[in-house]
Amino acid sequence: MITLQDKNILVTGASQGIGREIAISASKLGATVTIVGRNVEKLQETISLLSGSGHKMQVVDLSNAADIDELISQSLPYDGVIFNAGIVEYLPVKFLNESKIDAVFSVNFDSNVVLSQKLIKKKLLNKKASLVFISSISSKLGVGGTAMYAASKAALISFSKVLATELAPQGIRSNSICPGIVKTAMTEQANDAASEEELKKAELEYPLGYGEPSDVAGLVMYLLSDMSKWMTGSDLIIDGGFTLK
Amino acid sequence: MEINAFLKNFADILDDTDAALITQETVFRDLDEWNSLTALSLIAMADEEYSVKLTGDDIKSSDSLNDIFEIIKNKG
Repeated sequence: MITLQDKNILVTGASQGIGREIAISASKLGATVTIVGRNVEKLQETISLLSGSGHKMQVVDLSNAADIDELISQSLPYDGVIFNAGIVEYLPVKFLNESKIDAVFSVNFDSNVVLSQKLIKKKLLNKKASLVFISSISSKLGVGGTAMYAASKAALISFSKVLATELAPQGIRSNSICPGIVKTAMTEQANDAASEEELKKAELEYPLGYGEPSDVAGLVMYLLSDMSKWMTGSDLIIDGGFTLK
Repeated sequence: MEINAFLKNFADILDDTDAALITQETVFRDLDEWNSLTALSLIAMADEEYSVKLTGDDIKSSDSLNDIFEIIKNKG
């Protein structure tokens, strides 16, 4: 039986979608959860959905260094951190420029790196803590228009592996997850560019259909728990069988 | 916003299509070069040149380039 009893867990990008579901699941398994995100109303909604008490929320824009410092100053040592904050933007390479590259990388990669660096430096990770980076199946593919998204998510996987080595002496683990398409507000917005019909056709490529946020949260619960204590540096695909094709 | 400039911008996102084929009446979907990536390029071009966010449904509901032009004009 998976339990997160007495664990202090931090979830970024917890305003909605996968991050929200991770926070809810962790609270149900007994964890005390700190949720961060940019949107105060949505964070309040998330926190109202959590089980148990003692949870905290903080409005944080992870692309803002001062916000990260504020989060760090309010933090007690964590037993688990989910690096989930991310944005998606579809753009052919032909239309990229430095500010578009920055816009995606600063949120999807830089902010996660800076946050983990500060957590380590300020000794805010307990021994045997578990770090989970939410990457994407896009990092393994080559779908046209996803260059910056895919590259930033691939960079996270490499970062997580190096972190796993550097933190192993303290028994701290780091793993990444590559979900396929999960039905969330973010993917709906991103898929604005595609028509309803195209989306239905695309879903047929998934033997088990598109995922639900809870499908990803389940795997994250395993990684946060002591049941996965021998797993580190791994990169796990969870995609309803999409990559079987 | 002027139609000829728009047609030129559209021709610019293509690589293998004769610019002479690009007119107001062109049914863009019938162009050999039209695919999901050119659709993304059209969306990116509308954003870059006209600060207009085109959606997939905007494109789907259009037939000719003039239809796209009108949508951009109305949203601009």
